[in-house]
Amino acid sequence: MEYFQELERETERLYEIARRARSKGLDVSTSPEIPLAKDLAERVEGLVGPEGIAERIKELENDKSREEVAFQIAAEIASQPVADDDIGERERLADQAIRTALAILTEGVVAAPLEGIARVRIKENFDRTRYLAVYFAGPIRSAGGTAAALSVLVADYIRLAIKLDRYKPIEREIERYVEEVELYESEVTNLQYSPKPDEVRLAAGHIPVEVTGEPTDKVEVSRRDLERVETNNIRGGALLAMVEGVIQKAPKVLKYAKQLKLEGWDWLEKFSKAPRKDESEDKVVVKADSKYIEDIIGGRPVLAYPSEKGAFRLRYGRSRNTGLAAMGVHPATMELLQFLAVGTQMKIERPGKGNCVVPVDTIDGPIVKLKNGDVLRVEDTETARKIRSDVQEILFLGDMLVAFGEFLRNNHVLMPAGWCEEWWIQTIMSSETYPDDDPLNLSYYSHNWMEFIPNAPEAFKISREYDVPLHPRYTYFYHDVTVEELNILRKWLKTAELGDELALSLGPEKRILEVLGVPHRQKGSRVIIGYDDAYALINTLAGPLEKSDDSVDAINRVSPVRIMKKAPTYIGSRVGRPEKTKERKMRPAPHVLFPIGKYGGSRRNIPDAAKKESITVEIGRATCPSCRVSSMQSKCPSCGSRTVIGEPGKRTINLAALLKRASENVSVRKLDEVKGVEGMISSDKFPEPLEKGILRAKNEVYTFKDATIRHDSTDLPLTHFTPAEVGVDVERLRELGYTEDCYGRELESSDQILELKVQDVVISENCADYLVRVANFVDDLLERFYGLERFYNVKRRDDLVGHLIAGLAPHTSAAVLGRIIGFTEASACYAHPYFHSAKRRNCDSDEDSVMLLLDALLNFSKSYLPSTRGGSMDAPLVLSTRIDPEEIDDESHNIDTMDMIPLDVYERSFEHAKPTEVLDKIDNVEKRLGTPEQYQGLMFSHNTSSIHAGPRVCLYKLIPSMKEKVESQITLAEMIRAVDQKGVVEGVLMSHFLPDMMGNIRAFSRQKVRCTRCNKKYRRIPLTGECKCGGNLVLTVSKGSVIKYLEISKDLASRYPIDPYLMQRIEILEYGVNSLFESDRSRQSSLDVFL
Amino acid sequence: MNEIIAKFAREGILIEDEAYLRLKEMDDPMTASSELIVSIRKEGGKFTILTSEVLDDFFEIENPHEIKAGGPVKDDFKREFDFRVIQDTSNKSYTSGEIQDMVSYFSSRFTKLKNLLSKRPELRSHVPIADLRSGGDVVSIIGIVNDLRSTKNNHKMIELEDDTGEITVIVHNENHELFEKSEKLVRDEVIGVHGVKKGRLVVASDIFHPGVPRIQEKEMKFSAVFISDVHIGSQTFLEDSFRRFVRWLNGDEGSEEQREVAADVKYLVVAGDIVDGIGIYPGQERELLIKDITEQYEEAARLFGDIQRDIKIIMIPGNHDASRIAEPQPAIPEEYAKSLYSLKNVEFLSNPSLVSLDGLKTLIYHGRSFDDMAMSINGLSHDKSHLIMEELLEKRHLAPIYGERTPLASEIEDHLVIDDVPDILHTGHVHINAYKKYRGVHLINSGTFQAQTEFQKIYNIVPTCGQVPVLHRGALKVFEF
Repeated sequence: MEYFQELERETERLYEIARRARSKGLDVSTSPEIPLAKDLAERVEGLVGPEGIAERIKELENDKSREEVAFQIAAEIASQPVADDDIGERERLADQAIRTALAILTEGVVAAPLEGIARVRIKENFDRTRYLAVYFAGPIRSAGGTAAALSVLVADYIRLAIKLDRYKPIEREIERYVEEVELYESEVTNLQYSPKPDEVRLAAGHIPVEVTGEPTDKVEVSRRDLERVETNNIRGGALLAMVEGVIQKAPKVLKYAKQLKLEGWDWLEKFSKAPRKDESEDKVVVKADSKYIEDIIGGRPVLAYPSEKGAFRLRYGRSRNTGLAAMGVHPATMELLQFLAVGTQMKIERPGKGNCVVPVDTIDGPIVKLKNGDVLRVEDTETARKIRSDVQEILFLGDMLVAFGEFLRNNHVLMPAGWCEEWWIQTIMSSETYPDDDPLNLSYYSHNWMEFIPNAPEAFKISREYDVPLHPRYTYFYHDVTVEELNILRKWLKTAELGDELALSLGPEKRILEVLGVPHRQKGSRVIIGYDDAYALINTLAGPLEKSDDSVDAINRVSPVRIMKKAPTYIGSRVGRPEKTKERKMRPAPHVLFPIGKYGGSRRNIPDAAKKESITVEIGRATCPSCRVSSMQSKCPSCGSRTVIGEPGKRTINLAALLKRASENVSVRKLDEVKGVEGMISSDKFPEPLEKGILRAKNEVYTFKDATIRHDSTDLPLTHFTPAEVGVDVERLRELGYTEDCYGRELESSDQILELKVQDVVISENCADYLVRVANFVDDLLERFYGLERFYNVKRRDDLVGHLIAGLAPHTSAAVLGRIIGFTEASACYAHPYFHSAKRRNCDSDEDSVMLLLDALLNFSKSYLPSTRGGSMDAPLVLSTRIDPEEIDDESHNIDTMDMIPLDVYERSFEHAKPTEVLDKIDNVEKRLGTPEQYQGLMFSHNTSSIHAGPRVCLYKLIPSMKEKVESQITLAEMIRAVDQKGVVEGVLMSHFLPDMMGNIRAFSRQKVRCTRCNKKYRRIPLTGECKCGGNLVLTVSKGSVIKYLEISKDLASRYPIDPYLMQRIEILEYGVNSLFESDRSRQSSLDVFL
Repeated sequence: MNEIIAKFAREGILIEDEAYLRLKEMDDPMTASSELIVSIRKEGGKFTILTSEVLDDFFEIENPHEIKAGGPVKDDFKREFDFRVIQDTSNKSYTSGEIQDMVSYFSSRFTKLKNLLSKRPELRSHVPIADLRSGGDVVSIIGIVNDLRSTKNNHKMIELEDDTGEITVIVHNENHELFEKSEKLVRDEVIGVHGVKKGRLVVASDIFHPGVPRIQEKEMKFSAVFISDVHIGSQTFLEDSFRRFVRWLNGDEGSEEQREVAADVKYLVVAGDIVDGIGIYPGQERELLIKDITEQYEEAARLFGDIQRDIKIIMIPGNHDASRIAEPQPAIPEEYAKSLYSLKNVEFLSNPSLVSLDGLKTLIYHGRSFDDMAMSINGLSHDKSHLIMEELLEKRHLAPIYGERTPLASEIEDHLVIDDVPDILHTGHVHINAYKKYRGVHLINSGTFQAQTEFQKIYNIVPTCGQVPVLHRGALKVFEF
């Protein structure tokens, strides 16, 4: 494809520039250090081996899924013939097998296959049978839960391939896991999922291989000296593999175990999140799930209780900016709540655990009740802004647009679909009585339903004529009230005559209207319903309802047209992490990786350090082998031959002279601030040229530990865009290959919808502004330091369009090539789901970085990376230049590509069908893999008029103090019908403030002290009360951090009727705090004063 | 409003806040005050602080929370108590959480223990670390342990610090006896070392703890009962067992022999965790029967109130009680335990406390530090707490390890140092009975009245429930209820 060739050509052009620059010998190496990565197979072979495996992987890839390839490869490697009873060799092969398999599972992108597995051993059960033991290490975390879990499954597959028995744990070993999990959570850090002791027992007792590991933390268990467990410390890696892996990802593990016909994993069903069929009734019962609000955090509002009336309504579909865990919410809802901005994370009840919020305005917005009694639908952001301060109650939060793929990805049964326009239109189109000539022009409206709003008599007419249910707009939330209430309402409605509108006298019946979500106004003592809504109500409630638990069913017995359940599925949610877009700065933020010890003060300012004649720092230097001149360059400054980097050591350098010369080299007059680092963390301790720091300082950009310049943003998906919304003109886009819109029409106008090319990215304006400075820095560097031509010559952010970037996620080591195609006002980076998946990210509030490609090529060096475990994570060790959707994280394969949700999905959602049962009706990426359609024609079912509507910044970030954040949180809780305010207050206290204070009181009484001068830490204060350097010692846990939440907590406790249990906990805490911070003597003396 | 205070002040009497507030609320506070002053003066003016108890006594105010001790009184003989509080840190918390307090806390620990150590003949000639000179002579030093490590060759390295400097002491593993001794060292204890200075190291030839001299056993003409970890309010509190225990104390239960012992009981010592408390660990509310701390203490008052009133009850808080969590913990505050306070035969003291029971010095400590000791020293475990107590006695400190699980308040004086060797050391916390007589000292851990909890199951702790140690005229008996 021309697109990829174009990207590769441009990449090559940048490489050439970098090669020329590096060849000057001014850097640590004479060529760029980021090799281009080829395909997955070769990445795997390069990363973990064994030699020649790439070919075999490619062979198998032809007709097998990636998981199947991984398992097969593992079995093949492990079961190679070895000499009789050569256990050592067998262990080595098993070790190799699991690493290779894990590398395949993680696409050769992350460090886990190298660092996450310490070793594999064959050990003996107490009945003398042999089993397989896998030793996990901390960095298994970088594999992610699924891959970690699958590596355990791989181990079992290997075990069977080499005919070993299962691991038979004894009770003490099982209990040891239980204790370790508890200890890990209390002493080290929280697990993503906290299993109950019995869950750990179940897993530990049944996993057929031993999941063990290296000690990771200095915490000892009480079940010590077990014969088969080598360490008495916590085995963090093993716990991650077991808990965040096998237990947390149980449904997925089970799925693959079944696929591979692996026996002995059925017990996992007990963990499966998807509700199982109720055996007695053969009917699936899905219960409300409150896991997402087990923790309520201060300042992060609960938006809806689990499955509560008035919560978000489930609507199936995918917009051009949703999928991959990003879900659509109406921008009016976002505007109203203010705590949801584009990219804000929500923790949700289902189908997954979290998502990212993006605006979609072709779905239903909120219904609110104003202080004057009016109830209205809020259908645009402008109205939302206008009425915000008048809102008394948010009766309904509006829709949440969830892609079918989200249910598929989470293996969650389908939930009953909300009754919506696009479904209604399909029912007409499929009606036998609807004529072929499409009199209602539905082929158009099926995608533009917002433009087709019949009045109520018309709606009834359509329903009668084509025998379809009533239009969703005239279908109210009947299931949220009882039959009795509906009868009361009906009686009330009959007290007035329907004219242009229906005027009723105010009474308690109004509340029923509110709950039903019927828009109305209140004028004095009269309630006024508009003609259409009144018509719909009166004609729906055509007769008195018979007693029934099912209000909708009762209505259907009297209504002339069929009434659907408007919101059969409500989804609970709370606000999670706020969105982010910000340049990456270390603390303190250096301009250059040049060590100056403590000479530069706490800001590490090089000009300050240079005021000293010379400084002594630990530094690496290079020596010329021929003329013995020592320098900090890869080519000898005097003779030009390649230098050799020597051992680092303490050296005295004349920083003032170096700085002066560097400034002259790049002709920058004296800068007040050029920040270096205290010491180098790499093993060579070879510094960057000072010139780079001077130029970075001049352009106000900062470097990361690997000498690249990063900008971090929340990841959001995007498959289509319009030139107008990304702020790029049509001409420029045509140059970049966007010649047609997504419907195949010539691109001419800036509101046409274009399909995003898979490596194109839409960066935030904040990011663009930073990259402009980075580009200027790179140009300065080329011109003044390397003596080459300027390359970027950008002045405004628009000039960045078409330039290449590298995207890189934490815990991975492979960057992905991207191209800037436009800008968003949102605090996020919009890119194709493939692009995010290639970095192994999804869009439930993951964030990662972009670099300007030439900056990375010129400045990145492995030699700056620390040599410790995990040091190579988050560094661009390779650059993937071409995205092949078959070789990226398979989460992206679940992306829906349909322009319409099939009727079948709607209908079968009421039976709680499993997503896999309706897959034949679904068009998604999975089905397009390996065909040209994998790159184009990925459609969306719901359009949105803007990908950055709604607030740009979540209110959480705008409110300065925790007190005010909590205040707003509680105000919101009071306002939203689906939220229990008391529960929120108690939740914040119970899961955030009280544990925080308790933890800090404990921490206070066993804290370390720190020197203000040299930063040395002491576990316990020295008897002299002074640091060895003579500096002042200060507490590391301040009184402030202990009492941080005390006042707010007391305040909340006094203002809301909270559980007395919590009241008392606060009181006792306060007593403890006072006892620690107030001397009884001063209390006594204050009494003296009082007297 | 200050008329009342001024009135008392003129007489040299201070008023506690609460007493003041209550006085103020009376119908005629000025007259009441005058009456009080007259009465106090009549008593000989020995009160200098007017507390609410004094007020109670004088006006015989019925405490709304008061639960009358229902226990019988044996009228046939009137008991003479020779009960004395030797050390109680309640209301003596002088820390304000500043870093200076931390300095004085550890200086106090070092100085106290150094004084004990320097009385040992072997350490009389100890020198400050800063004055150490290399040479062949054996030197002796006293220091606080900063850190303990093993070298590559598995020798033990001790970082030792005194107020002049620090030094690394090395213990060779070929020196088996000494090496074994060094295995029992913990961080932040104070020790003495004999050794030879070689370069920057001291190679140890001997290590000394402050230690315990064998004490003369005292005659005991009464019995004392020791319990702890009652955990009232928990779903797993064994109420029946506790009630049987109380009936026994009152002479209404048990064999002839057991009743005889009961009749001899003068003191009941409770070493903390009287109630299960609230908010002690996450999710505790799900395991509580009584979710209100005041009600938990009211229930405690009902249960302890049934004990006959001529048995003196001494109570200290544990980590579950309503007190601060940092040790030393002040006595259970009256605020939460009003009804318990209304029992006239109960003494509320700090954790730890030292009391004299008719001449027998009894050191009461809840035992939080056992967690750290069991973690730090190989061979020590929760089910053998007598071995831990032995170590603590040798180290002469109840909670030597700083920075682990036992929160320590930086009091200006280290009250956790064992200044005096007691006749009895009574602890709890681990829920497992233990007893040992060590150099004449009775080491008693008194188990629990709580059945095994889920938490204990995870940590593999099998509690001994309702097994009550009784020191009967110098001999230990354990009765099960």
